[in-house]
Amino acid sequence: MRFFNRVWTRTFSYIVLLAFTAFFMVPVIWLLFSPFKTDHQLISENPFALGTLENLGHAVRVMFTFEDYSLLNWLKNSAIYSFGGIFIALIFSIPAGYGLAHTQFIGRRTLLGITLFVMIMPATALVLPLFLEANSVHAVGTPLAVILPFSFFPFGVYLAYIFYSSSVPKDLLAAARIDGCNEWDVFRRIALPLARPIVALVTFFAFVANWNNFFLPFVMLPNSTNYPLPIGLQDLLSTTPAFNPGQGGQVGIYRPELAVATIVAMAPVMIVFLFAQRSLVSGLLAGSTKE
Amino acid sequence: MKSVVSTDAQSPQGTTDSLSSKLRRKRKNGVAGYAFVSGYFILLALFGVAPAVYAICLAFTSTGGHFVGLSNFIKTGEDFRFIPAFENVAEYLLIWLGSLVVIVIGLALMLHSIARKVSAAFRFVFYLPGALAGAASVLVWLFMLDPTVSPWRLFLGVFGFQNLGQTILPGHLPLIFAIIAFWAGAGGWIVVTYGALNNIPNELIEAAELDGAGPLQTAIRIKLPLIKKWITFMLILAFAAGTQLFVEPQLVGEASLGLISPTWSPNELAYYFAFQNNNFNYAAAISVDLLVIGLLCAAVLVFRTKLFEVE
Amino acid sequence: MAPVSLEKLTKVYPNGFEAVHEFDLEVADGEFMILVGPSGCGKTTAMRMVAGLEEISSGVLRIDGVVMNDVSPRDRDIAMVFQNYALYPHMTVGENIGFALKMKHIPKDEIEKKVRETAEILGLTEWIDRKPAQLSGGQRQRVAMGRAIVREPKVFLMDEPLSNLDAKLRVQMRAEVARIQRRLGVATIYVTHDQVEAMTMGDRVAVMRSGVVLQCDKPQTIYDHPLNLFVAGFMGSPSMNLFEVHLGEGGRTLFLGTQKVELPATVLAAKPSLVKFANKDVVVGIRPESLMIAGTKTNDNAKDFVFFEGDVDLVEALGSEILVHFSTDAHRVEAEGVYSDDAEGLDAGLITQRGEGVARVPPETQLVIGERVRLQVNPKRLFFFDPATGLALSE
Ligand SMILES: Nc1ncnc2c1ncn2[C@@H]1O[C@H](COP(=O)(O)OP(=O)(O)OP(=O)(O)O)[C@@H](O)[C@H]1O
Ligand SMILES: [Mg+2]
Repeated sequence: MRFFNRVWTRTFSYIVLLAFTAFFMVPVIWLLFSPFKTDHQLISENPFALGTLENLGHAVRVMFTFEDYSLLNWLKNSAIYSFGGIFIALIFSIPAGYGLAHTQFIGRRTLLGITLFVMIMPATALVLPLFLEANSVHAVGTPLAVILPFSFFPFGVYLAYIFYSSSVPKDLLAAARIDGCNEWDVFRRIALPLARPIVALVTFFAFVANWNNFFLPFVMLPNSTNYPLPIGLQDLLSTTPAFNPGQGGQVGIYRPELAVATIVAMAPVMIVFLFAQRSLVSGLLAGSTKE
Repeated sequence: MKSVVSTDAQSPQGTTDSLSSKLRRKRKNGVAGYAFVSGYFILLALFGVAPAVYAICLAFTSTGGHFVGLSNFIKTGEDFRFIPAFENVAEYLLIWLGSLVVIVIGLALMLHSIARKVSAAFRFVFYLPGALAGAASVLVWLFMLDPTVSPWRLFLGVFGFQNLGQTILPGHLPLIFAIIAFWAGAGGWIVVTYGALNNIPNELIEAAELDGAGPLQTAIRIKLPLIKKWITFMLILAFAAGTQLFVEPQLVGEASLGLISPTWSPNELAYYFAFQNNNFNYAAAISVDLLVIGLLCAAVLVFRTKLFEVE
Repeated sequence: MAPVSLEKLTKVYPNGFEAVHEFDLEVADGEFMILVGPSGCGKTTAMRMVAGLEEISSGVLRIDGVVMNDVSPRDRDIAMVFQNYALYPHMTVGENIGFALKMKHIPKDEIEKKVRETAEILGLTEWIDRKPAQLSGGQRQRVAMGRAIVREPKVFLMDEPLSNLDAKLRVQMRAEVARIQRRLGVATIYVTHDQVEAMTMGDRVAVMRSGVVLQCDKPQTIYDHPLNLFVAGFMGSPSMNLFEVHLGEGGRTLFLGTQKVELPATVLAAKPSLVKFANKDVVVGIRPESLMIAGTKTNDNAKDFVFFEGDVDLVEALGSEILVHFSTDAHRVEAEGVYSDDAEGLDAGLITQRGEGVARVPPETQLVIGERVRLQVNPKRLFFFDPATGLALSE
């Protein structure tokens, strides 16, 4: 009785898990297959029929040359905004995490509390206020209006704080002080070299967040030459006849081309995911628990 | 050599310089601390606190800069688009959070009961679509929902959908956005929940089995209660993020030929006020509404659960 | 001039807890000073104040005659060995040892030479390019030592540096540390829990309890003449047998529970103040090795001895000796540090139990469990303490 119960539960588990595997993976697979086909084939043929390399070449060519290589421009913009933001975020959040974990100063606990609050609050909630602020100092439309808000990454500070307070013992820093380090040396020669795992973790989370961010660049950058990829995708969406039959067909952006653009947009994050897979899963937990 | 038992005699000058030394020490130590956090502090002030404060100021003033009390909040609240926007999001949240509780926890429990290697593969597959968060995920789902090209076209046909316009009817949107959110976001939560389940000591589960509990019983009576705080954590964060919905309605609206209101979600409404009406005060008022919801969620998490106890 | 002098050093933690109270200590040139005491008595705190890692609440710390209260650790010219070694995980053994020299901007080739010499002394040459994670516990301990000795500092501070090693390695390193200290002749403060380390390694021992130094002297002096009950009970293993007894008329007899024990006149002659306790309670202390089973040694001058009886409860044969656990119906007094939580005073820490005791006898002694034995002790080896204050009765 117990035995059958168990077998039944297990079989049921696998059926459900496989069904969800289909749910999660079919869209990805379909997306990867579609540039190999023409728009017409996409409509008329079996969704998983194989296409040709020739079609892929065509879609890629059309997409990349579209509007004077806009896609490459968006890619470049996305990279600048994401990495610019990450770079500044790292420069400030590693020392801040260290300072919060290992120094004493008035207001330390308050700062920690505020960091926690801002970290939990969805970043989107601050987008319009940030826009209003940027607008009041006439910074709207400049790349800095995106990069600087990106560089404020309280989650990174929290990760660094957890790392320093749990993995770097106070005695280690005390030893350095006795060995002749001043406070800056203690940080630069001991704490900073030990921060390598946290740099990787913060970079990963900040990259995923920045790269996929839509709302902030959407309000901050009205000029199409400044668009990052997500806004570029929206731009494509509004011009393509695939979703707007009335639109002029002369731009040549149909579904296979859109799929190319989407793949280009997701590829960097996907690559980071694949590489970071192992540390990621533990990192995801490290980010959410204090142990 | 003399033996010393601590006595109260001799050396009275011990305490004279203690006060000034204490102050000097404090200051010196403090300076280092401030130096380390100063850069971050400036960022926090400029891009965390200042925008919020500025939005609050705008929300309480008129276009001319006069203090108007709650008037902006009342006017936006009475706007005919305000209630529907919040209703839309509420409906979306109901579906999205419900699916989180039922499906995410269910899947995590299933993954936890099968071989570790196999479950690792499943977890990775579930997590992968997270790479397509934001605009890319919406685009992908526009394809998925378009009966003319979708790999699910048979499935969509069962419901009688012939073209994209029929699938993305306004009434379907909360469900559609929940599906997109689930597709891109559930994997991360499955990993977190699985991790929490993994933290349960094995002996506990074995003890339950020895006590005669089957897999289902163990899951419901032992595992679930032990990961309760993680479920709370997940729900609050998902709720807070869900209230801020913007990309999804924006992009789907783009593809709907004007069928979908450009003020479908509160954030879109705020955006509309700012950019179509040039009324930053109204926009700020709605932003502050949303900010308060976010802050409340954070407050609940920080103060009500023990997840973020510092020191 | 003493390299290190602590004058009424006091530490009050921000939460109001006073961990060290008016700590007085002078460490002479080249002296090896041991700090012992039960867990939580403030040893680490005292040491960290000397190092400059903990702010001094009041009192004066001098190193080579210069007041150091407000000098930062890096300018104190001290070296410290931490209990968990605190090795820099991202540096090799060589870099760990040479780090302090590097911070002093000593030329590279000179650093290299000194590091090599130090590694040689400690037998670390083979591991010099390894990272700490790839070393065994003993090797790590040596690196921590190396990091301290390479600097030729004014003072060494060592906080239980051997406590993370296994028993065998500890014995070996104990001798090594003592040898190195003698060779370098640097004033050293060494914190330990270990009885043997306390007795064998140092020139002097300071016994602490609840933030207070109770006695500071040569180890043998402390062993032979403990100033109070706590020191008597803390130093020595197994610890001193302490019984609460009733002194008879004129101090000629004492009542160990129901047993009446005759005291030879020599006892009173040696400790005249005992008279004051006639007809009162007093605590008597006997070291386990002072106790003998009566009649086993024929040539004892038995008539001057003190005799009493006890029931054998347990016999522990250690090979070189036998520990006999016996019981009497007297009150046993426990002055162990485990009860140090209440810092009221010594008497408050006293816990009286059933009168168990331990004797340390030669291995050939024949004993049967349950048997009643007659124990004898040389009256010169008796310690007496005032039960109210815990202080030893003066001679
Ligand atoms: N930062 C602190 N704040 C408040 N109390 C403290 C702090 N650090 C230590 N204490 C307390 O001060 C007392 C002395 O601590 P210390 O570490 O000096 O003991 P110790 O003698 O070194 O003990 P052990 O032998 O266990 O290492 C302890 O009771 C401890 O609880
Ligand atoms: Mg200690």
